[in-house]
Amino acid sequence: MTVLEVSAVRRTFGGLVAVQGIDFTIGAGEVVGFIGPNGSGKSTLFNLLTGVLKPDSGNIRLFGEDIVGRPTHLIARAGVARTFQIPMLFWNMTLLENLLAATVEENWSTAQSRAEQVLELLELQHMTHHQARDLSGGQQRLLEMGRILMRDPKVVFLDEVAAGVHPRLREIILTAIRKLRGQGVSICVIEHDMELTQSICDRMIVMDAGKVIAEGPFETVTADPTVMKAYLGDITL
Amino acid sequence: MTLNQSAGWRGLGVVSKVAVIILAVICVSLPFWAGPYWIRIGTGIIMWAGLALSWNVICGYAGYISFGHVAFFGIGAYSTAILMQPEYNWNFFATLPVGAVIAGGLAAIVGWPVLKLRGAYFAIGTWALGEAIREFATVVPFTGGSYGLSLPPNTSSAFFYFTMLAATALAYLICYVLLERSRFGYRVKAVRDSEIAARMQGINADRVKIQAFVLSAIIPAVLGGINAYWITFINPDSVLNTIFTDQMVVMVLLGGLGTLWGPALGAAVLYFLSQQFSALFGSSTWYLVFIGILVMAVVLVLPNGLVSLLPGARKRGVLNQVIGGVVGGIHQTKPSAGAATPKEARHDSP
Amino acid sequence: MDIFIQTLVTGLLIGGLYVAISMGFALSFGVLDVVDLAIGMWVVLGAYAAVVGQQAFGIEPLLMLPVVFVFFGFVGWLIGPFIYRVRTSNYALPALMALAFTFGIETAIRGGLLATFGYTPKSVQADLLQGVWHVMGISIPIVRVAGFVFALVLAAALLIFLYFTRLGLAIRAMAQNKDSAGLMGVNVKRMSTLVYALYVGVTSMAGVLVGAVYSTTPQVGLRYTLFAFFVVVLAGMGSVMGVLVSGLILGILQAFVTVYVGANYTLMTVFLVLFLILLLLPNGLARRTA
Repeated sequence: MTVLEVSAVRRTFGGLVAVQGIDFTIGAGEVVGFIGPNGSGKSTLFNLLTGVLKPDSGNIRLFGEDIVGRPTHLIARAGVARTFQIPMLFWNMTLLENLLAATVEENWSTAQSRAEQVLELLELQHMTHHQARDLSGGQQRLLEMGRILMRDPKVVFLDEVAAGVHPRLREIILTAIRKLRGQGVSICVIEHDMELTQSICDRMIVMDAGKVIAEGPFETVTADPTVMKAYLGDITL
Repeated sequence: MTLNQSAGWRGLGVVSKVAVIILAVICVSLPFWAGPYWIRIGTGIIMWAGLALSWNVICGYAGYISFGHVAFFGIGAYSTAILMQPEYNWNFFATLPVGAVIAGGLAAIVGWPVLKLRGAYFAIGTWALGEAIREFATVVPFTGGSYGLSLPPNTSSAFFYFTMLAATALAYLICYVLLERSRFGYRVKAVRDSEIAARMQGINADRVKIQAFVLSAIIPAVLGGINAYWITFINPDSVLNTIFTDQMVVMVLLGGLGTLWGPALGAAVLYFLSQQFSALFGSSTWYLVFIGILVMAVVLVLPNGLVSLLPGARKRGVLNQVIGGVVGGIHQTKPSAGAATPKEARHDSP
Repeated sequence: MDIFIQTLVTGLLIGGLYVAISMGFALSFGVLDVVDLAIGMWVVLGAYAAVVGQQAFGIEPLLMLPVVFVFFGFVGWLIGPFIYRVRTSNYALPALMALAFTFGIETAIRGGLLATFGYTPKSVQADLLQGVWHVMGISIPIVRVAGFVFALVLAAALLIFLYFTRLGLAIRAMAQNKDSAGLMGVNVKRMSTLVYALYVGVTSMAGVLVGAVYSTTPQVGLRYTLFAFFVVVLAGMGSVMGVLVSGLILGILQAFVTVYVGANYTLMTVFLVLFLILLLLPNGLARRTA
């Protein structure tokens, strides 16, 4: 079943074309990795798909419905959740409150106990009543994952969720991702860490300069000379 | 600065509980044993505690600084004054909802476009709104222009004390329930802290902000209506003066932004200081210099307000926890009752 | 038709003044990202300084211009670090606290001026600028021309400074991205203070001329803050060039409202227009940026 369908999406900023002619689909339960050099438009794409930005042209269909122009919060309620490249937590609220706030529009009656479970899963229970601003960088990303876990989403976008994170915490993030995957959630991941990408992604989409330049399983894509060129430039080895 | 969630009655120590009960008894019984001067002071402090609370709702909880808040106070004052004129002769209590509705309506209309923008636009926009309303009241005939309006006299200071107390207590109750014990509170604070992330959790940020703004407008409107009847004569200078907003700002910053009881503490302290000031210097504009410097000092040195100075977590959350105790049994939206851990670890961020 | 042209000319000249009082703020806002609620108070301070200079020391107001610039620039230099510190602090709501801080400045200055000078309006008498030109039936008060010229000179000076000096380059870099600028050796804190000092100095200089055209009381500070804000918002926050255009637009708008509707309605009209513009063009006249 196709969960997400993207066609001919384009977005510019002033004179800069950030994203153009993007076409792909995501199926249920798939984990798709988005890789590419910095500035290739990956985060912009995620912003477009989650309603944070509006495309200049193109179609985005979520569960068959067109979501272009739909307000962010309605897209979220349709079952989309994400992390941000730079964590955007509720800094003045405690960890527990952050998780409760994540589910405030959904099933509230079990929120408290679920929040406690999530904190346990993330091994953050000792910080339950600390403010989010007191967390380390890695813990912040964990909490962002926690928010996702609270929401029971169907499609998840992770934007460099393990970037610069301590290996121990990274393990926890991976566990969380596998848990989501086990629930049949579709996951889109932006990552620079190839090892991580290889271990969880079913297939890859490679972007460069706002376009998709390759698509397929990890091994195929990483052997592709176009991909090499994008990352390394015109080097003859 | 930190913005704290309140704990419950259970988090209170025995001493604190007793202190709170004593304070409550004093408050409620004041008119029976104090002289008219102190009843007046008490009425004033209570009103300001309410005004400061309303400003804190839009600023501390929603994160938008409103510099024209006096406009809502004035609307309430004029609504009551106009409706109590001999040709309409409304009952006093009936006039209060009218002012509230008008103020709330204006907040919704003005807020709808302006709250979509950054805080600075809102600050300046509300400042301009306050001035525009004042100009409007001065120019338009049915407000009595710059001469103002008289209201029917009522000499019972106890009446006004209790009315003001009831209104302010109700306001605190409503705000406590909505902001500290309900999902709305989570929504508002989430939008304040990180609007994009809040939207990503399904929160309709635009609607939440307007709701907070409307709530923050209704409270001063009601208090303005009571105030008008209390002082018997109003004109643009007395109920639409920027000094009202100035004082609200200072009281909240001084007491503790974003805490439920900070404003009350700030109101009491500043009111007291202002009385001392006029005793020493008369009603001089040096007072403005004083509060201006006070604001700067608080921002630099005490951004968490006075509530953060009160020793120990239990005492700090005292008043929060009072309401928690009273209301706790009635309305628990926190799904389990285990949420009453005393919030000791709340230290100021550097 | 005559009235139309006269109103237009008057509007342009007033617009020049608005450009003068807004330009500094546009620069400061681009760099510090703080809306200064005391903009109007710096204008008023400049006017009062010129009045004092004239009445107490007999100094010709035009000569006060450099004095005012240096003196208030210095005041800005003293205050700047605090604003910078609050804005970049670890506070829960730094932008809001910075706004509150400038509010404190505004209130303190207003109170001080009221206590010292009272409510009576004061005017700067610029003898060198007395008189009115009559060109084709249009009256052009010389003092307003001076204000207009001042605005143009200021705009030119500022643009040259920003685009042709190293210091200006550093400032523009900071306005774009403070972190990167810092990494390239720009002392962000010191530069921010410099920019703030520049802004205060320039704005109070403009105040001297404003004081020559209009009579001033401490209460009108708010009005100038609103107008300056209007100008900068319309231009697109941080766009210095846009200020030139939007300042003139505001001047023309005010002139036409005063002549064709009534002076009492100016503030309300400006407020309404600002309101509508924010509704339709949240980014002002500046081209949409990322």
